[in-house]
Amino acid sequence: MHGKIMNASFDALVIGGGIAGGEAALNLANNGFKVLIVEKDLSIGGKMILLSKVFPTLDCSACITTPKVSEISRHPGITIFTGSEVKSISRKSETSFEAEVIKTPRYVVIDDCTGCQLCEQACPVLVHDQFQYNLVGRKAAYIPFSIASPRVAAIDIENCTLCGACEKVCPTKCIDFTQEEEEYCINVKTVIVATGFNLFDPLKIPRYGYGTYKNIITSMQMERQLAPTRPFNTILRPGDGKVPDRIAYVLCTGSRDATVGNPICSQICCMYSIKQAQLLMGALPMADVTIYYLNIRSFGKGFEEFYDQAKGMGVNFVKGKIGKITENENGNLNLRYEDINENVVRETEHDLVVLSVGVLPNTDSKSFFRDGDLKLDPFSFVDQADPLASPSKTSIDGVFVAGTATGPMDIPDSILSAGASSAEAISYLNRKL
Amino acid sequence: MEIEKGKTYKYLREKREVSQAAKDNLKQFIKIKKLILDALQESDLTIEQLTQKLNMPSNEIVYYLMSLVKYGFVQIGAVDDMDAYFSYKLKK
Repeated sequence: MHGKIMNASFDALVIGGGIAGGEAALNLANNGFKVLIVEKDLSIGGKMILLSKVFPTLDCSACITTPKVSEISRHPGITIFTGSEVKSISRKSETSFEAEVIKTPRYVVIDDCTGCQLCEQACPVLVHDQFQYNLVGRKAAYIPFSIASPRVAAIDIENCTLCGACEKVCPTKCIDFTQEEEEYCINVKTVIVATGFNLFDPLKIPRYGYGTYKNIITSMQMERQLAPTRPFNTILRPGDGKVPDRIAYVLCTGSRDATVGNPICSQICCMYSIKQAQLLMGALPMADVTIYYLNIRSFGKGFEEFYDQAKGMGVNFVKGKIGKITENENGNLNLRYEDINENVVRETEHDLVVLSVGVLPNTDSKSFFRDGDLKLDPFSFVDQADPLASPSKTSIDGVFVAGTATGPMDIPDSILSAGASSAEAISYLNRKL
Repeated sequence: MEIEKGKTYKYLREKREVSQAAKDNLKQFIKIKKLILDALQESDLTIEQLTQKLNMPSNEIVYYLMSLVKYGFVQIGAVDDMDAYFSYKLKK
C-alpha cells in the first residue's frame, strides 16, 4: 500500500545507474543541472562494478568504477534512488515530463547505516547471492557487495524470517521494518534512458547442458571468480571444488544465433573471453585454455594486439561450432564440435566450460512512456532516431538514450555514448529553458 | 501497535506472514551447516571427502562450504599434491 505521493522536480531524469547512466548524470550535474538517477538495483555501478578487469588494457575494473561511483554519489547536484523503478512517464507540456517512480523499502535507514555488517553476521538465513551469480550464498540481511554504493545493508524481505536478530545487534538501530513502498511524482524537463542490457540465459540452449552439468558456468560467473571480491579463494569448479586445468570457452552462446532469437553479434564476447583466458593463465599457470569460436571480432583500438597477446601466451583458438556438451562420471565435459578448418567433427574433453553469453536488449524502457511510443529497433534496443547526426536522440523529443540501451557495445563506447547523450540533453535544456 | 525502535520486526510480523519456503530454507541451512561443521570437527577434509561423508551432492557441498568460508566459520587449508583439491578446516 502506498502512503501519500511525494512530489519533486529535477532538470533531468536518468533511468539506470550503470556506467552510462552515471556518466551522463555526472556531465549534466557538472553543468549545473539537477539530476535524479533511478536505479532498480540496490547499488549504482551496473554490471561494470562487478567485473574483474577491462579489455584490452587489463586495468582493474573496480579501480575505475569506484572513484566514478563515489563522485556520482557525493555530487550535490545528483539525487539517487536505488531499489526504485520508473512506472510511467507522461508528457506534461512541451518542455516537461511527469514520472511516476516507486521506491521499494530497503528496511534500513540509509543515512544511519555504517555498513558494519553486524546484521549480516547475525542473520541466520542463507540464500543465493545474486551479485556472485549464485556461486555462493548471502544472508537475508546483507550488504549487496563490498564496493556497493551506497555501501549500506538491505533486508531481503522475501527470504527474511523476521526473527529480529539483525535489529538486536544493530548498533545504530537503523533497521526499520516499518518502512513501506513510496510513490513519487517527479517533474523533469528531459529524460535519459540508460537501462543497459540483459545477459543471455544459456538455459535456452539445452544441448549445452547449463544448469544440468555443474561444471558449466557463464562468463559472468567466471568474471566473478576472477575478481578481487571473488566467491572462492581461487578458480574452482562449482561442481566439486576442483581447481580446473583444461578450460574451454564457447563463444557466441546466444549471439549470432537466430534459433534463440538473437541473430546479431554481441560485440564484447570475443574480447572479454580473450581477457578472461589471459587472466586464467595468470591465475592458473598450468591450465590449458581453449576458445572455440566462429569468427574473432577484434575490431577496436588495441583489440587485435590483445588477441595476438593471448595467442602468444598459449591460449588455444579453435574455429569450431559446438554441437553438444555431455558430462563424464568425473564431472569432466565432452565438447562435440565441427572443426571448421579441417571440416571434421571432433570431440574433446575439458574439466570446466565457460559459456560466453551474449547481450540482449532490456526492453523495460518500452513500457515507461504513456503517450508517444518510445520506438525500438528491429532487435528491440532503443531506436536511434538519427544515428549518424544525433545518435542519442530517440523517437520522443526530449528523451535521449545512452550506452547499451541502444545496442551491444563495450565500456569505452558506453561512456562515449553517455557523453554524447548528456551533451544532447544539455543542449536541449539550454534551448528549451 | 506501538512501534519500539530496535524491535520493529514485531510490527512487520503482525502484518506479514513469513513464507513456508523461507522457513524451509532456513531449516535446511541450519541442518547442513551443522553437518559440515561437525564433520570438520573431527579432521580437515576436502570437498570430495565431505561429499562421501555426508552423502550429499558435491555441488551443494561447494555452495554451503564456500558460504561458511565467506562468513568465517571455515578456513581454507592446504592443496593436495596434484594441486587439484583444497582441504577445509574449522576456523578456530
